[in-house]
Amino acid sequence: MSGLRLVNVSKSFGDYKAIDGIDLEVQDGEFITLLGPSGCGKTTTLRTIAGFYTPDSGEVYIKDRLVTTVPPNRRNAGMCFQSYALFPHMTVFDNVRFGLRMRRTPPKEQQRRVEEALAMVELEQLAGRKPSELSGGQQQRVALARAVVIEPDVLLFDEPLSNLDAKLRESVRVEIRSLQRRLGITSIYVTHDQAEALVISDRVVVMSRGKIEQIGDPFWVYDHPATSFVAGFIGLANIRRGTVTAADGTVVTVKSDFGDMTMHDEDLSIGSEVIFCFRPEDVIVSGSTGQNSVRGIIDQAIFMGNLTDLFVDVGGSLVRAQMRKGGNFKKGDPIELSIPADAFRILERDNGT
Amino acid sequence: MKNPSRAKLVDYLLLVPGIGYIFVFITSTVAVTVLQSFGLFSVTGESHFTIENWKIIASKGVIDSLVFSLMLGVGSSVGTVLAAFPLALLLRKTSSWKRSLGSIIKIPLFIPALVATFLIVNLISYDGLVNEALLFLHIVNKPVRMLNDRWGIGVIVIQIWKNLPFVLLIISASIAGIRDDTIDAARNLGAGRLAVVWHIFIPLAMPGVLVAMILMFIRAFGDYPITSLEGPVYPSSIAVRMYTTATLYQQWDQAAVIGVIIIVTTLFVVAGYSKLAGIVTRE
Repeated sequence: MSGLRLVNVSKSFGDYKAIDGIDLEVQDGEFITLLGPSGCGKTTTLRTIAGFYTPDSGEVYIKDRLVTTVPPNRRNAGMCFQSYALFPHMTVFDNVRFGLRMRRTPPKEQQRRVEEALAMVELEQLAGRKPSELSGGQQQRVALARAVVIEPDVLLFDEPLSNLDAKLRESVRVEIRSLQRRLGITSIYVTHDQAEALVISDRVVVMSRGKIEQIGDPFWVYDHPATSFVAGFIGLANIRRGTVTAADGTVVTVKSDFGDMTMHDEDLSIGSEVIFCFRPEDVIVSGSTGQNSVRGIIDQAIFMGNLTDLFVDVGGSLVRAQMRKGGNFKKGDPIELSIPADAFRILERDNGT
Repeated sequence: MKNPSRAKLVDYLLLVPGIGYIFVFITSTVAVTVLQSFGLFSVTGESHFTIENWKIIASKGVIDSLVFSLMLGVGSSVGTVLAAFPLALLLRKTSSWKRSLGSIIKIPLFIPALVATFLIVNLISYDGLVNEALLFLHIVNKPVRMLNDRWGIGVIVIQIWKNLPFVLLIISASIAGIRDDTIDAARNLGAGRLAVVWHIFIPLAMPGVLVAMILMFIRAFGDYPITSLEGPVYPSSIAVRMYTTATLYQQWDQAAVIGVIIIVTTLFVVAGYSKLAGIVTRE
């Protein structure tokens, strides 16, 4: 059984195509993150799943039930909002109980389930308080309890942590993840914070301009970005154009503005135009491995504690490199960089076809 | 500032425009009305302390007028709020046709109560438009009496017509303060449209609703032009009775008593509403 399925879902607002042909299949119990910059369509996708938007075309299935035109109150989806959206006139207890009241759950069971849910987020002591008497972190935990107490078929998170400070964000996201694992509820989590997405999810869905750029587990998406957008959005990347000048089946040589680079690829042929990338942390600084070595001049060296960020001018092209800990780098110093062949990823290729 | 006491005097003098205004025009007028009701500062006769004027408080005429005006006050405030609340919900999200509707609704705001009463009297009088239409459609076979009815239904209708935009403004403001997320959360948790109105809109808009009701009550309770034109011959509203007592019967001191009754009743009702507001918002 799939937890959630979107089939070719599109939604426009006036002339603006917010999402454009989204296809997504989420396994039961899986934790998926929709990641992308603002305006990429991630929140529209989430609100379409919740039922606040009816798609212009396409189908939405929750647990194999077609819900495309079902109103939000009959979807059994629990949602956590960025603003928490607690009911200000109700106590914590009544906030959590609201969904059960709407479902006409017997009062005794309501009482028991609300108490369980509050215990789960460790807020039993604050059951009688009003939301305005709670801290941001506590409010978000109430919102979480309120969303899970109805035993939803799918849990939806709309940037739930963006109003919390950095420390709290880390602890609450661990809490969300462990709670989700324990309850096994299929979850869709929207964020623009790539670190958050990599930490929390089983799979990451990277979106841009209303379309899905790449779907994969966090390591794969980071290590094998499928497009220039993904490479630039997740982590840091040097993204360059080049032309294939030699190819022997497994190894190709690509001529770029900072030198001829050898990289692995089986499909490229001589004369192909490519866009490729490599991560700054894969660049080996001041220690030639003999592979893809280039000489340059330090343009900028930024010491950041655990690492040093270098911008090196190689034949007029700036290459970014990062190395652990610092060295004694100064602007204007000559430096040798080498980039292992397996650090390169081909993002776009034009085989002349 | 060598002399602190003199500096103090200047400070006090600076307060005169503000506090002086309150004292002279508000406190003193109320005080004179109260004193007049006890025969002091009399306009017409000799001034001497007496509680004679207060005997009218027990007269059937004054009691009937008071009860009638209370009824008008409560009826108009409840009626206007009941009419305005659904409209405020409807107009919550703007669109072009809603904006036009919103502008049309505001028209009565620019029409004085007296003119409004004339307009509506024309509509509902014995041979007015409404009766003509009812007769034409054979819904009734003789005109219905809607003007100057014993229970002041006509007055309440005019009050609602006249004050709807004003009350709508207050209620819309308090509904605008409710976040979309809060409503989405309720929908997400299984609340249908009616449940959202009942559990979210009504309780969260309640402070605004109560304010609207208080202001509306004061307007309708103390109203003169509408009830004098459209109200029943008997009982007259308390304001109309005050006017006739003073001008027709030349009993200014007794009119002052009625004035005091109006003020005190208003204060009691406001206190009652505030208490209610306290209970409602605590829930």
